[in-house]
Amino acid sequence: MAARAETPVPGWQRGRVASWFVTTDHKRIGILYVSTSLVFFALGGLMALAMRTQLAQANAGVLSPQHYNELVTIHGTTMIFLVLVPILAGFANFLVPLMIGARDVAFPRLNALSYWLYLLGGLVLMLSFFAKGGAAQAGWTSYPPLSEQTPGHGQDLWILSLHILTASSVAGAINFIVTIHNLRAPGMTWTRMPLFVWSIEVFAWMLLAVLPTLSAGLTLLLLDRGISIGGWHIQTHFFNAAKGGAPLLWQHAFWFFGHPEVYIMVLPAFGIISEVLPVFARKPIFGYKAVAFSTVGIGFISMLVWAHHMFTVGFPNALNSFFMITSMAVAVPTGVKVFNWLATLWRGNLHFDTPMLYALGFLSVFVVGGLTGIYLAAFPVDWQVHDSYFVVAHFHYTLFGGVVFAIFAGLFYWWPKMFGRLLDERLGKWQFWILFVSFNVTFFPQHLLGLEGMPRRVYTYSHESWEGYNMTSTIGSYVMGIALLLFLWNVVRTTRRGPRVGNDPWQADTLEWYTTSPPPPHNFDSVPYVTSARPLHDLRQRLREANGTRRIS
Amino acid sequence: MASSVRAKLLLAATTLALLLVPAAYGGNGGFVPVTPESPNAHDIRASYFFITFFTLGVFVLVETLLVVFIFRFRRRRRPRFQDGPTLHGATRLELLWTALPVAILFLIATFIFIELPGISHVPSAGATGRAYQIKVTGRQFYWQFEYPNGVISIDSMRAPAEVPVKLTVVSPDTDVIHSWWIPALGGKIDAIPGIVNTTWFEAKPGFYSGQCAELCGLEHARMLASVEVMPKSEFTAWLSQRRAQQSAGTSDLGDEEWGGVCAKCHGLAGEGGIAVRIAGSAILSDPRALAKIVRNGTSTPRGTMPAVGSGWTDDQVSALTTYLKEHPPSGS
Ligand SMILES: [Cu+2]
Repeated sequence: MAARAETPVPGWQRGRVASWFVTTDHKRIGILYVSTSLVFFALGGLMALAMRTQLAQANAGVLSPQHYNELVTIHGTTMIFLVLVPILAGFANFLVPLMIGARDVAFPRLNALSYWLYLLGGLVLMLSFFAKGGAAQAGWTSYPPLSEQTPGHGQDLWILSLHILTASSVAGAINFIVTIHNLRAPGMTWTRMPLFVWSIEVFAWMLLAVLPTLSAGLTLLLLDRGISIGGWHIQTHFFNAAKGGAPLLWQHAFWFFGHPEVYIMVLPAFGIISEVLPVFARKPIFGYKAVAFSTVGIGFISMLVWAHHMFTVGFPNALNSFFMITSMAVAVPTGVKVFNWLATLWRGNLHFDTPMLYALGFLSVFVVGGLTGIYLAAFPVDWQVHDSYFVVAHFHYTLFGGVVFAIFAGLFYWWPKMFGRLLDERLGKWQFWILFVSFNVTFFPQHLLGLEGMPRRVYTYSHESWEGYNMTSTIGSYVMGIALLLFLWNVVRTTRRGPRVGNDPWQADTLEWYTTSPPPPHNFDSVPYVTSARPLHDLRQRLREANGTRRIS
Repeated sequence: MASSVRAKLLLAATTLALLLVPAAYGGNGGFVPVTPESPNAHDIRASYFFITFFTLGVFVLVETLLVVFIFRFRRRRRPRFQDGPTLHGATRLELLWTALPVAILFLIATFIFIELPGISHVPSAGATGRAYQIKVTGRQFYWQFEYPNGVISIDSMRAPAEVPVKLTVVSPDTDVIHSWWIPALGGKIDAIPGIVNTTWFEAKPGFYSGQCAELCGLEHARMLASVEVMPKSEFTAWLSQRRAQQSAGTSDLGDEEWGGVCAKCHGLAGEGGIAVRIAGSAILSDPRALAKIVRNGTSTPRGTMPAVGSGWTDDQVSALTTYLKEHPPSGS
């Protein structure tokens, strides 16, 4: 890339705080994304703990029905839109240019805009608790007519927040696609690209494909709720059956976005696992192409499965059958990944640093979430478990046991690259084991509650026979809280005292480890010519050969 | 190294134990759907077992491989960064684990298609006669049942035994989405404004309960439903007796309306809850005013009351006014 003439930075932008506000450096924006999402993660987690407290016992009065419904709505919306998607976007921001040997993303200022829009959208959602009538109360899926009948402005602010976040994500997605297509290092063909970058490529295309549907749905919902501009009042009836509208139209629009959204969160998590496992098994990923193409396959099929969220609305069985088969088809490329990961471990030299523990924990737990998905795809069985706690357990196994475990693998793995210091391994391992156990204690019993007939999104219940599982789940959730505090403690402790590391503490394979930790603003002084999917491994090999100390492996 | 591995094993065992403890004291455990009492629920559970056979198999396979690999290929005394063999893949193996899931899913889908007619088709006749029809209306926050002879009941349904009972499930245009679910009597079906859905059950005498399964507002959690299946002759006798009582204004309908429609928000004694206290309110003893507020709802600075009784017949309204005249809520 031709050297750009650097305009001198004005003095006021160079301050320790101000520089973060004006930065267009993808690494700093990545760190902003990650840290902001962690703050929202804490807030969303506190909401979950409040709900678990209310549900620990039958007929409890800790939360009023309205507060419970607000929390259930904002917890879900927060975790998906303000935590999982943006933290993965944060990883992508930090890592993609480094992994492909680029100086920055293609559009650095657009990148900054994405972040600030994200923060704005998040603030709008959080502050909606203070709106007239409280926050939105119709669940993260906000089905009309309920979401159109809630008084107050919480629901309107929810719509506004999602509109802002959608704009942010679209800008980010375009940026990632253009970056990946144009700025790869010499020699980095598509099949030499790190698997995490593959996952971000698919992540970005999926966002572009499905977010417009969400935006359209949100706009219709807003118009249905009615808007006043000056003296004009606009009120439509897209989802209002009384005026000839169709409530199901929203569900189609929402889930055409909503199901791919699950994979928008899961695929980058898969990408992280595909980077971490080979490094800590000291082997190349088993079946690179199968893993890369299964990412594309999952992305594509996931856009054909949305109505499996609507099996109980009374579709003809032919339609249900179509969506059952497409939903089951997603399991095939997912299975390919799981077995390829297992084969990556085979005959490896495994060492169990915290990133590896989280990656292995991910494998063991994600399988459960994947397998319970089959019950939901088989629509007659879904008629029984749909909208019950079985579903709540299922998606927490995929999104917490899956995505959050992968995120922790990624945090412990790339932390030294981001900040130049390792996180404390001892604390990290404690955190892993506590989280692994408490996660299962929290969410496994919820499968059983669902099968016993407990619906999701209820602020209370009167069956005393449900109390045992609910109490167990609540205790588990508190312990999860402790595990997450340990992470916070780890971050605080190692910020100043963590051991400093060199370029490549894990002897990893990909280009981000070629530069210093943390990398300089321009990332690389030079980038080696890429000859395989493991450029750093090749480099070490060549060095050893040059030194005449080649080991036969 | 070995001791730390043992510690990890111990932790894994503890996890398992912690998972099984609640299972043990949950009775039936919840490891399978509730005991089915209707052929459709029965076939759903059969499908559940069929799927579980494979999911358990895959689960055990994956977790075993994972644990075995973790032990077998751990570092031991090898140098930390010594590379393992450079295995880039094996096409035949990869084809195998692509084909295996395809085969399993094919079997599961086939089983579902075999069971499907028994689950979703309403039989036209059962052991003791032709299908019986009941209309189910989901409303904020109660279930209204209408029998062919015009009898209406709230939240508790009665139905004849050993006859297929066909339910028409709807929600008024002005209401929201609800979902009808009695786990022992089959899967759930949504009550959606503007759409007419159907489901069915056929059961032995007994008492079955469930609740609304689609978030429908503040009192979603209190939107319970029960079905009392009774011998056919008993049911017929109850129905004609209730018909006569309903015309005479002496049926339990008013009581059911108070408990199912009013009390969920205003409290069983009218003491207030998520909505205002209404015990002692003049409206309760004024049939006209009461009819108006129940049918049309109201919006005052103190709050909004939805039109919970929009579309109610005069019978339904007078059942409530009569009941409240005889049982004025005490307030505590
Ligand atoms: Cu309901």
